[in-house]
Parts: sequence; structure tokens; C-alpha cells
Amino acid sequence: MLNESLITDVLSAALSTGGDFAEIFAEDTRGTNLRMLNGRVEEGVSGRDYGVGIRIFQGFRSVYAYTNDASKENLVKVAKEAAAALSGTPQLQDIVLQRLRFEAFNPVSKKPAEVLHTDKVAIMKRAHFAASDYDSQITQVAITYMDTDQNVLIANSEGLLVEDRRIRTRLGINAVATKGNEKQSAFRGPGGHRGFELFDHIHVEEIARDAARSAVTMVNADYAPSGKYPVIIDNEFGGVIFHEACGHGLEATSVAKGASVFSGKLGQQVASPLVTAVDDGTIPNAWGSQNIDDEGTKTRRNVLIENGILTGYMVDKLNGRRMEMESTGSGRRQSYKFAPTSRMTNTFICAGESTKEEIINNTEYALFAKRMGGGSVNPATGEFNFAVAEGYIVRNGKIEKPVRGGTLIGQGAQILQKIDMVASNLATGQGMCGSLSGTIPADVGQPTIRVSEITVGGRKGAN
Amino acid sequence: MEIQEFKRTVFAAGKDAGLEDMEVFFTRSKSFSTRIFQKEVDDYRVSVVQGVGFRARFAGKVGYSYTETLDEESVELLIRGAKANAQIIDSDEEIEFFPGSVDYPEVVAFDPAIEAVTAEEKIDFAKALETEAFATDERVAMVNWATTGYTETDVYIANTKGLEQSFRRNGAYGFVSAVVRQDEQAKTGSRMVFGNDWSQFDAKKLAKEAVEEAASLLGARSLPSGDYRVLLRHDVARDLLATFSSVFSAEAVQKGLSLLAGKLNEKIASPCITLVDDPLLKNGGASASFDDEGVATHTKNVIEEGKLMTFLHNLKTAKKDGVEPTGNASRASFKSPVGISPSNFFIQPGTMSYDALVETLDNGIIIIDVQGLHSGANPVSGDFSLGAYGYLVENGVIVRPLEQITVAGNFFTVLDEVEAIGADLEFGSPGSGGHVGSPSLLIRQLSVAGN
Repeated sequence: MLNESLITDVLSAALSTGGDFAEIFAEDTRGTNLRMLNGRVEEGVSGRDYGVGIRIFQGFRSVYAYTNDASKENLVKVAKEAAAALSGTPQLQDIVLQRLRFEAFNPVSKKPAEVLHTDKVAIMKRAHFAASDYDSQITQVAITYMDTDQNVLIANSEGLLVEDRRIRTRLGINAVATKGNEKQSAFRGPGGHRGFELFDHIHVEEIARDAARSAVTMVNADYAPSGKYPVIIDNEFGGVIFHEACGHGLEATSVAKGASVFSGKLGQQVASPLVTAVDDGTIPNAWGSQNIDDEGTKTRRNVLIENGILTGYMVDKLNGRRMEMESTGSGRRQSYKFAPTSRMTNTFICAGESTKEEIINNTEYALFAKRMGGGSVNPATGEFNFAVAEGYIVRNGKIEKPVRGGTLIGQGAQILQKIDMVASNLATGQGMCGSLSGTIPADVGQPTIRVSEITVGGRKGAN
Repeated sequence: MEIQEFKRTVFAAGKDAGLEDMEVFFTRSKSFSTRIFQKEVDDYRVSVVQGVGFRARFAGKVGYSYTETLDEESVELLIRGAKANAQIIDSDEEIEFFPGSVDYPEVVAFDPAIEAVTAEEKIDFAKALETEAFATDERVAMVNWATTGYTETDVYIANTKGLEQSFRRNGAYGFVSAVVRQDEQAKTGSRMVFGNDWSQFDAKKLAKEAVEEAASLLGARSLPSGDYRVLLRHDVARDLLATFSSVFSAEAVQKGLSLLAGKLNEKIASPCITLVDDPLLKNGGASASFDDEGVATHTKNVIEEGKLMTFLHNLKTAKKDGVEPTGNASRASFKSPVGISPSNFFIQPGTMSYDALVETLDNGIIIIDVQGLHSGANPVSGDFSLGAYGYLVENGVIVRPLEQITVAGNFFTVLDEVEAIGADLEFGSPGSGGHVGSPSLLIRQLSVAGN
């Protein structure tokens, strides 16, 4: 994308005012987004994102500049403008670039650019019909298809030069069920760091029917009772609880400045001994995986919590300086328009020893959150909230009836201590995670777990 | 290439490729931001970025494509992409390319004075945010955000039907968030200012309000679940309105995604509610003389004294309903297809001060912050269930802070149950969903879950 002499010239210009580290991130991304409503393709957009970000450190300070104009003249100019924000004696560095090679572990067999639009539409139609034929209460089905092919080049003044190609494909299924005046929708969004062969690995119809089933179940459900009581959170996308309530607090972004409830707690018991949690960017073809992070560091499997003890954070280069820790391969960004910071990849609670049946059978009364919606958290306090997309009441060891409209609120660190059962059925689900460095693909995951109590908000009074 | 030359090249190549109508939607943004941490410039960003959204009709259907670099390769990519995307469209809805309005209103959204504010002045402002926050209360443990920024954007739209319009806007923002700690409890408070009148950027006031709010929440605890009379502070009312603004989109109505379908000219809200869409607002964050299809904009009441007067339309939805477009065509970015969004969108303020509203509330709760709007609110049903912070009010007086509660209700019910409206209209930060504002609203009843 950029030749080596241009790179060294830009990096040198970036260091001309006393910066001690400079980095270039160049990107050329092609992508396609298709949208189908009720079986008819309504919109197709394809395009090209192209630009370069230049970052300079001076101690803990960071300067970031980005542009679409990748000419040498402009990049040197932008690098100098960025450097003008710093002042100091230039440290003469002889930059010798050395190409980093790695073994790519996200093989792609069907590149999206080589697949006909009509084949992409055929997948969407399969999803549409599976969902719309599920039940007469399904009144609308919206299907989205997206693929991206991101080519990046990362180089820095330490001599790193590396290129990576990230191909991702995802299907989105949104089913709406209607009963009288009431509507409920359910979403499923399977995806992977892979090409069109994604659809050889997933069962499109089964997933679409599951979305329809969920919407129909919820439109016929009563409202969730509010109050403070036990909650069983199912596997797969249920892991969003850990992602939101704990994962963000374990990112160096908030830990480095002491803004997280987990700051300074390495080696301490922060969760129930039943909890082991990892962030693993190296799972082949997983949605949140990457060969290298967006600072050019190889991704790793980072154990965050082991048997309840805090064992690690997710660290990027800049926050690593503040924390005196090495990068853990966690520096990520949406695009060249964002400076990278520490982010999650595929984050999950590991399998325990119970079974889901044991958990339900051993519960007198609880909300069973079969499917979680999205949520958010205040990293400074760990306070979170998220929606229960599909809920049930468990009574006397049995699932009694579906309930909707529940919201879980609480404080991440407290919830972690209150996990009292963990099943063995670990599974992951795909999400888009938004934070300082933009919106990035991330897997969440967990086995079925039980939390002894959480505040549940709902439209129905206390039970 | 510059955009004019690029446009001519694309239109010529497109014509050769058999494309019928063609349109380019170009934006170019220059931005600056800085963040202060412990009195130092911790983060400093500058950028100039552009992009072209292209759409074209081929065999009667319209396909989209975009690029961020204006080179020869992109010309080819735009044309091939739009053509391929047009060929898979099943929808037989006709998409118009607009030749241009006869008159366009005068709209002021660019202020050269704020463009002239130097980087040093902005850095000093962000530093003052941090310093003033620490000076407000000794319990301030950290100022996790002290930041300011500036953006100016040029928009240019042109098509083969003869439309050619351009527009420029700018604005700055400041944001502060502070954490106060006492005993084992940590609370945050934040304040944001947005606009292009730099004289309104008062670091001391902003920081003081953020810290005082955080401190006011210390000692917060839950309360018994039940139905409560509720005062939604202006920023919470605004966030709710923004979250549910899609229900006023004619596209949502036509697709059966809005419960307002069929309710034009009916009473849908309390008589004290007048909801305005005003793209002509001087220096509004979403002010513009034309919308993203090139249609001239105008001001209208969407709700007038409780009655639904109009939906928000683009060309496609207006044609379908047999009405005039309302100038609300919107593209979230040059990458996005044409949709619909409000412009400067606000509930008309009343006359009561915030304090008078608290007194009128008498016994109930004030909500000052909600979380989970992107997950706990369903624009189709209007249902919401959100984590919240606030204060308990007894006999018209705030008695203590609240946390670990959720408020649940329905947007349409809330609109109908507004009993009183404050004079304290304030806008949030503008985005692709318009620039939304609201005064504080006193609501008859919401369901609150606590303990």
C-alpha cells in the first residue's frame, strides 16, 4: 500500500519535534451491505474506505492525525502538523523497517468479492423464508448481509512493518411478531472472520427460525416481574453480561488511569471461584479474531480471571506505558479514523461443571434470561444495565412461562461474586462493540450461569 | 482529483456504462479534538476526511456505492458497484432524483468566529474543565474526561437532473466527566456543551455542574418498587425523544414499524406538547437549507398541542403518501442510503422553572440519567425499561439520591401523560439522527423497579 521509503520519511517527520514513537496505519477496505425487507432486496451499497492514520507518542501523550490523501507530500505534511502539537528535542532514530511475518490462522476459501451478488441474495432469501414461514404471527422479516475485506499496513518507528487482510462476513436476521397492537422483534446475527464459506458452517434456516420463535414467544408473553431475585443467564449471547459489566473494566483504557473498579486488583479475588474468563483473539475464524491487532502486535489468549482471581488486563501500547506492562495484542480500532486502544476480541467465561438442567432444577424461583439484548456500562463505577430479549420465569425447578421487557441492572464486580452455578455448555455469539476506538466486531460467550440475585426492572410490579 | 472533476469523470463514465440518472453526495470534514489528563495534553487529534456517496439508476432500479479516495480506480469501483447493486433490487418503489427546489431558505450554520478560536484556546478550555472540576469538591477522585473539539463540514450534492447545492456548517463541543468518591462509593457526573458560539463555553459552570451532580448522588440507594409520579429532567426527556424519533418517520409508518400509522390529525399527546422540526434554527446543529436529496427545508410542527400534524418525509415516502416532501431526507453519512431523520427537533418549552416543576411534582421521583437506551427501548412498540439515577422528592423537596432502579413505560403513554412542561429547553449533541432538544417533563406515572 505504501512503500518503505515513504513510510520512513513520514515516521521521521512525525518524530521531528521530540516524539519518541511514531506509527502509520494505512487501510484499503472494500465492503458490501445488502438489505432485504419481507423477501425483497431494498438496498445494496458497496464501497471503499481508504485512508491513513499517523500516531505519535511522547511519554504518555498521544497525537493522532488521519487523512484520505496518501500522497507522500500530504502524509509528510500531516505528520509534521501532528508533530507540531508536541515540543522537544528530536531524538534521531535510524528507522530500519523489518517485515513481521506470521502464520495466518483465519483462512478464507471464498473471497466475498468473487461471489456473485445473486448468491448473497440467495442466502438472504433462505433466511427470510425460514423466518417468515415459521408462524402466522411473524409479520415482518428484515435480513441484512455484509462483508468487508480490510487490508491494513502497520509500521512504526521501532522498525515494525506488517500487513494483514481481514475478511469478515455476517448475516443479520430480524423477525417481528405481531399480536393485535403489540410487536416484538428478535435478532440473530451469525458471522465470522471468514468469507462466504461462513454459510457452509452455519445452518441459516435454523438460526432464522430461532429468531422467529423468539419473537413469537415474546409477543405472547406477559411482562417480567420487577424486583431483586436470582437470574439464570443462558449460554452464548448471555456472555454480553460479562462483556459489558466486566470486560470493559478490564481494558487498559479504563484501568491505566485508575478509572476502573478493577484497577490495582491483580492477584485479588474479584469473582466467585467458579469463574474463569478469557479474551482470546486467536480462535480460528472467530468473529473477533485477528492475526495481529491494529498496532501490529500478534493477538493472544489472555486469561483475565482464573478461578475468581484477577490475573490480567487487556493492554494496548499507550496504556501499557502508563501501566508498565507489555501490549497483550489488544490494540484495536474500527478504521484509520480512530486511534487504537485496548479492546476485547472474543471474550467469554469458561465452561464449568454443572449442566443447564441441574441449574434450572435446583432453582426455586428465578428469571431465566435465555437471550440477552444489548447493554451498557459506566466503567468508572462498573454499573451496568442490559435488556433481556427473551426471558422466562423459573419456578420450583421448572421453566414456568415466558416474560418480556425485563432489564438487568447492577454493578459488575458484585455480580461476579454472586455467580453460584456455572454450566459446561460454553458457546459464543457475535456482536458489534462500540467504544473509544469505534465499533468493532467482538464475540461474547459463556456457559449457562446462575447469579444469586440481580435487580430486574420490568413493567409489572413486584412478585 | 477535486470533487468537481471527479463528478464529471464519474458521470461521463457512468453514461458510457449505461447508467441513467446519477447523483454524487460529497462531504468533507475537518476536525480537531483534544483531551486533558492531569493537566497535560493527553490526546490530540486532527483530521481532514472526505467521501463520495454515489447512486445511479440502471434498468429502472437504483444502486449505491461510495469511496473515500477520488482516483481513477474509484471511478470504476463506484460505477461497477452501483450497477451491481441496482441489478439485485426487487423493490419496485420508484426513487426520484430531484432536479432542485425553486427557492432555498437562508440558513446560518457556519460561524467564522469559532473557526478562528485557536488550538491553544481550546486546550486551555479543556484544561480549565479539569482544574475547575477538582476545585469544586475535594472528593473529586478523578476527572476522566476533559475534552474539547471542533468540526467543520462541507456538503455538496449534484446530479444529472441539474441539482447542484452546497452547504457548510461548523461547531465546537466541550465535555467534562468527573468521578467523586466517598467511603466505598464512586459516582460520576458529566456535562456537555455544543454550539458555535464560543462565548457560551463556560468551563467553570460546566465543571461545577458535573461535579455537583456526581456528589449529589453519593449515598444513593434504591427505593421500593411501585408506580411513581416522575419528573424527567430535560436531558432525559431529550434522550427518550431522540430514541423514539423514528416513530415520526413516514418510512417507519409505511413499513408498519410505527404505531402512529393512521393517526394523522388525531390527538396522540397531552395538549401541552408541541413538537417542532426546525431546520432553519440559527446555528442549530442540524440546520441546513436543503436535505440530503437536495429538497429545500422548512420548519413545521410535527405535534401541535397534542395533535399529530405530519410525518417526516423524503421524496420516496412523500410520493407514496401523495404529499409534499418535508425536507427530511437524510443520509447518516456518504456511505448510507437515503433515509429520513429530523433536523433540529424539539418539544416547545413551557413557562415553569425546573424548581417549580419539582414543587409541582410534590411526591415522586426525578430522573436525571438513564442507561441502556440502545438496548432497553423498543421503537416499534414504544416500550422502554431503563436503568436510572435520580432523586426522591417528598412534599416538593428533594430528600435523597436514587440508584439501582429501573424506570419502565411506553413512549406513547408518556407523551399522553405529560402534565407540565419546563422552560428549560436544552439540546444534546447533534448526530445523524438530528439535533434533539427537550425541556423537563412532568409525567403522571411510570413504573419503577427497585427493591
